[in-house]
Amino acid sequence: MKLEKNKYFKAVVKEAWPYTVGAVLLALLNISLFIVTGSAWGISGTLLNWGSKIYKAVGGQLQNWVYYSDPARLRALETPFFSHGGSLMNLGIIVGAFMASLAASQFKIRKIKSVRQVIAAMLGGLLMGYGTRIAFGCNIGAFFSAVASFSLHGWVYAIFIFVGAWIGSKLLVKYFM
Amino acid sequence: MAEYRLDCLGEACPVPLLKTQKKMAELQVGDILIVEVDHSCAMKNVPEWARKEGHNVEIEEIGEGEWDIYIEKAK
Repeated sequence: MKLEKNKYFKAVVKEAWPYTVGAVLLALLNISLFIVTGSAWGISGTLLNWGSKIYKAVGGQLQNWVYYSDPARLRALETPFFSHGGSLMNLGIIVGAFMASLAASQFKIRKIKSVRQVIAAMLGGLLMGYGTRIAFGCNIGAFFSAVASFSLHGWVYAIFIFVGAWIGSKLLVKYFM
Repeated sequence: MAEYRLDCLGEACPVPLLKTQKKMAELQVGDILIVEVDHSCAMKNVPEWARKEGHNVEIEEIGEGEWDIYIEKAK
């Protein structure tokens, strides 16, 4: 029997897992992470950290930024890449997603369709990045981990992510389709 | 019974779904729409929507990370 036809291979490697399986795994992993590192899962703070590191490497000045007046954030910035938990986790997401798509034979480098698509992607990225900083996190740090910590701000975030998604999809239909 | 193709290659969510919804509205009952996608979440949300609408759906994997979604308009 060919591997692609095997039902376990199909269910585990090829097809998307059911939402419930994903939810339970995410919860268990977040609990383990909290036990080991003392803090809940987050992604976007580390992305900012990576951006700042690149900015610094090309000669950018960060010491006057209000964001880095917080000593904890400055410490995270000065931690070497491979000693920084958040960086390793984000790297793990990228490598893991890459390996999963290879295993399922679903890896593909997509073609860029139009200039409009590039502009939309860059605008979207900038808005998301900026949004994570004024919301103190993305849907992982400010929603998933916040709700799991019984913090009210996670629910406030959830309401506004719907508002944002609604406005965003209206704009998408109007200008980019 | 006509057959239409909708090229959604290179488009990320939710664009393939929005384009499919728009195109399906133009079709006659019995027509078939083939949506070409290469974004794995479109492979999930497009069939999900079409099935909920009551259409017949079939997915064919045509290459690495590329799918044709066949939707037959049922009503």
